[in-house]
This record gives sequence, structure tokens and C-alpha cells, in this order.
Amino acid sequence: MRRLLLLLVLVVAAGCAGMTAGRALGPAGVWEVLMGGGSPLDRHIVLELRLPRALVALTAGACLGVAGIVLQSALANPLAGPEVTGVAPGAVLGAVVASGAGLAGWQSPGAVVVAAVIGGFAGAGLLWLLTGRERADPFGTAVYGVLVSAVLSGATAMVLLAAPGELGSVVQWLVGSTEGRVHDHWNLLWPWALCWLLAAWALAAPLTLLRCGEDEAAARGLATGRLRLAALACAVALTAGAVATVGALGFVGLLVPHLAFALYGADLRTALPGAALTGAAVVGGADAAAQALSRLLTGVLDADRLSVPTGALTTCAGAALLLIVARRIREEETSA
Amino acid sequence: MSGRTVLAAGALTAAVCGGLALGTPPVPPAEFADAFVVTELRLPRLVLALIAGACLGAAGLVLQEALRNPLAVPELLGVSSGAALAVAGPLVLAVSVPLAVQPFLAIGGAAAGGALTLLAAGAARGPSAVLLCGAAVAAGLQSALLVLMVLADQLDLQLIHRYLLGSLSARTWDDVTELTPWLVAAVPALVLCAPVLSVLRLGDDDARALGVRVHRARTAALAVAVVLIAPVVAVCGPVAWVGFLAPHLARRLAPGKDAVGWLPWSAVWGALIVAWADLPARLALAPVETPVGAWTALLGVPAGVLLLKRPPAADRSKAPPTGIRVPEVPAGRNSPHGVPRSRRGGAE
Repeated sequence: MRRLLLLLVLVVAAGCAGMTAGRALGPAGVWEVLMGGGSPLDRHIVLELRLPRALVALTAGACLGVAGIVLQSALANPLAGPEVTGVAPGAVLGAVVASGAGLAGWQSPGAVVVAAVIGGFAGAGLLWLLTGRERADPFGTAVYGVLVSAVLSGATAMVLLAAPGELGSVVQWLVGSTEGRVHDHWNLLWPWALCWLLAAWALAAPLTLLRCGEDEAAARGLATGRLRLAALACAVALTAGAVATVGALGFVGLLVPHLAFALYGADLRTALPGAALTGAAVVGGADAAAQALSRLLTGVLDADRLSVPTGALTTCAGAALLLIVARRIREEETSA
Repeated sequence: MSGRTVLAAGALTAAVCGGLALGTPPVPPAEFADAFVVTELRLPRLVLALIAGACLGAAGLVLQEALRNPLAVPELLGVSSGAALAVAGPLVLAVSVPLAVQPFLAIGGAAAGGALTLLAAGAARGPSAVLLCGAAVAAGLQSALLVLMVLADQLDLQLIHRYLLGSLSARTWDDVTELTPWLVAAVPALVLCAPVLSVLRLGDDDARALGVRVHRARTAALAVAVVLIAPVVAVCGPVAWVGFLAPHLARRLAPGKDAVGWLPWSAVWGALIVAWADLPARLALAPVETPVGAWTALLGVPAGVLLLKRPPAADRSKAPPTGIRVPEVPAGRNSPHGVPRSRRGGAE
């Protein structure tokens, strides 16, 4: 409980950092606006631009973290982040195809969510079909997951080649960016996120049982197949919502669950909210850091349109973490 | 003369004839020697396709054998991201580059990306750790590239995007000669490292028992792969998944052999794949060209998955491990996953 509280404080801190890291207004100005004062311009900046951006970043982070932990538990596979099971690339592909076909635009995020959900399910379904009978083998599933993700990102690249006009607006999705998210995005994201986060929470106890082993869970009277399907649906929906609003933030869904398990242990009833908070803190912090970095780089390079996307930061942090993990592997010793 | 030699020769002849004759305008085989479009445009392009494919195929086999992982693909070495980064950087940031330096941009970036992976992999202890390091470096470079792409305007963006897909359009003899010095360096190295690959395949313990310095041998193999891939990526862009498909084809069609026997075949199949993929790339939407990398990806991934899924019956005992090893996650007090940490694949 203490750790959850501590993390809650961290999330709030990340949110505050995101609110104050921008270019035009310092922390004092933000405080003044929040207290009800400030000029109309300041009020607009804080309430219409920064607040929704920070909220979207936090919520999307929570969604991705929970999606990752649910996927990894349901598939009994520590490598099953949304990025490597075809869910996130599928969602991106769906969003890109929809906007390429003119069905949905950057301005109408509602249709993008639907397209992303369909794409996410298609990606997961493709993996499901491919793995066939080897589904119980986490290693095989991870291999096929990487392949499916590669195919889907390749297909995205082809679609972009066919519709080059979309390229500029779509690149944002490919990296994951919290730039320019407004109340529209927030209004769309929070009911969706809330609904599916609650669904994931409801699945926490049976999923914990499932992690103890397939046979064990079945012996306790759990319908493992149906549970897995429900968990998958939940994870896809959460990922799709996050992807549709902020794009594919690299490595969040893959690494946050590991952090959460390390902090809260294997019981999903605490690890799941833990993952939500960790994800929110990570993405919120990355958002704030990205803004600070853009500000710094703009000063150094003297370029006025420079803005570092949040996804680039999470990917870099994830890559660094991967390097550390890789250094820790001692295969010769564990297998000898 | 075995069946696969006939098959390869036939496919090669067809690819050469098709590659030289088809296109706008079509040239009948009798007039090949006279037509400018054949000697100055299509022939260098075909040669480039064959060389690029051979290099990628060979590099793919080297990687897969050295890392004992069927998924070790050239794309995971950071080479192509490095090249793209070096091309995109000056373009987007509007830094003027001296004309003399420009041809070396991509090759320098590719080499730098590869060197970064080698450096990172130096700290890794096992084959899958090396793979993870490569993936991490590639992801880091990719995110830097994406930052540049977000900054780029529409025209630059399309240029970068097209480069990232890999294309053979408008390549001339100059590009072919640019590749030659690299090949002169890479081919002997490849021949020298081939026998070690067969030993590495046995697993680290057995290889060590046979007197191979495993870590050094793996780094050397990685370096050879980088030298093979970097110039190709610099000239054609990362032609996707050839390095994945060609080694699997080579194994499937010659199940009884070992790495030394597969290496030339992997190069041959790689060359054929690219040469064949170049045909739809030129003809599908003629006169507009599609990038050849799109076609190799379209063809390569499903075919490779099929080959992976059903290893030939004769080779089942020698089949490469189909699973990637799961890294030891930085877990806390409770190990989160009941996954066996040591699953030995391969021919132990």
C-alpha cells in the first residue's frame, strides 16, 4: 500500500512536471492560473493546452501499462508486450489505413479509435492463427509475435507509400507523441480507458490464478480459454485507445509490467493498479522530459520548430533498459 | 548436377533475361548488346541486385548461425538505421554537406551503427544477449530517426521513407564500383569465418571444448556481417527480409549440410530473391517504380514463416532452435513468470 501511495505521488509529480515544463509559462504562472487568476492567454495555455496534454499522457501510460501486464499474464509470456504481439502495430496500421482511405482524420479521433481497435484485433488474431498448436510455448509465440509485428509495420510503410500525403500527419502516430492533444482527445480517451481499466481490474484475480499454471487454474474451476479471450480483448482495447490518441509509445507496454512485478510482486490485484500507476508515471515523466528537452534543444540549436516526441524518449529509455537486461544474462551459467 | 543447381541456374537465367528485356521500353534479347538502356541502366541494376542479395543472404546466414537464432536478421544490427540516420540528419537539419563527402554519408552511418552494436554486444555474454543488444541499439537509432522524421517537411519525409524501404531505381555502374572495395574485404573474411560458424552452432560449451574462443568468434562474425551489410544498405537502402528468407531457403533445400555448405547457397538464394523481386518492383505500376524492399518484405516474411514452421523432416535433429531465449528480467523479490530460464535449443 505504501508503495502504491508513493507511486501515486510520483504520478502527480509527473503530471505537475508536464504542466510546468512548457515554453511559454513558468511554474508561478501555472499556479496563478490554477488558483483562478492569470491573463486570458495564460488561462488558455494552461487549461486548454497543457492540462489535456498531461492528462492524456498519464491516461495513455496507464492504459499501455495495464495492457502489457494483462497480455503478459494471459499469454504466460514475459516478452508479450503490445509492441511484439502485433497488437500495437496492428492498431497503428488500422489507424493509418483509416486515415489513408479518408474514413478518419486527425480531426476526428473517434473513427481512429474504432479503426485502431479493429487493427489491433486483426494483429492479435494473426498471431493467434500463426502460433496454432504451439500457443503454450512462450518462446515460439514471442518469435511469431516479432514476425507479425514486422509484417504489420511493413504493411504500414507500404500504405504510407501509396498515400504519401498522409505521411506527415501519420509519422506522429508511428513515434508516439503527446504534442497538441486537446480536450477532444481527453474526452474520448477517459471513458474508454476507465471502462476497460475496470474490466482489467475485474480480471485481476482470475489472471493471478492463471499465472500459477494452466492445469492449476483449470483444476480450480476456471474456464481458462474464455478468460484468456477476455483478457486479450481487454488488452487490445486498452492498447487501441492509447494508440489512437498518442500513437505507439515504444517499449512502455513491454517494460512497465516488469517494473510493476518487481515492485509489487506477482499478485495482480496489487500489481495491476501498480502497472497503471507506473505506466502513467513513466509516460507523464517522459512527456515532461520531452518538453524540457525540446526547450533545451531549441535554445542550443536555435531552431524554432524543434519538438522531441515523447515516444522517442520512451524508446531510448527502453533501449537502455534492454541493454542493461542483456548484460545481466548469463546463459552459459543458467544452462550449464 | 543436383536438382537445386538446375533450379538455381534456371531461376538465374530467367531473372537475367527478364531483368534485361522487360520494362519501358521492352528490348528483345537479340538487341541486348546494342541498346543503351540495357547496357547502361538495366545491366548495372541487375548486377547490383545480385550483389546486394548475395551480401544480404550471406550476412543473414552468418548472423543466424553465430547467434543460433532463426530470427537474427540484418535489420536488428543497427546498420540500416545508422545509414538512414546519416542520410536524414543533414537533409532535415539543413546542414550543407560537401559534395565529396556525400557518397560516404550512408556508408559512414551504416558502419557507425554497426560499430555501436558491436560495442554494445561486447558486454553481452550469450547469443541471445547479443541479439537483445542489437535490438536495443536498432531501437535507439530508430527513435532518433523518428525524431528527425517528425521534424522533416513533406518532401524530405518522402525521400527518407522511400530510402527506408530500399530501392534499386536509378542506380548506375558508379554504384556498383562503389561496392567493389567492400566486397574485396568482405569475401575473404567470410570464407575464413565460415568454419567457425559450424562450431558456434553446436552451442557455447561444446564450441569452447573444441578450443574456440566463443565470445571473440561471435564478435568477429558480427563484424563480418556488418561489413557485408553496410555498403549494400548505403547504396540500395535496407532491402528487407532477404537476410531472413535466404538462409532458411538454403537450409531447406540442402538439409544435410552444415554452415560451410549453406553459406554459398544462402548467397545464391539471396541474389535470386532480390533479382526476382526487382521485376515486380519495376513492372507492377510501370512506368512508376515501387521500392524493391516492399516486394521482398511482402514475399519474404510469409515464406520465411512457412519455412520456420515446418523444418524439413530429414533435418529435424539439426534444426536451429525455434525459440528465442528469454532474458532474465530484472525481477524483484517475486519472480513474475514461471518460465524455465534455460531452454537449450540447437544440437546439444
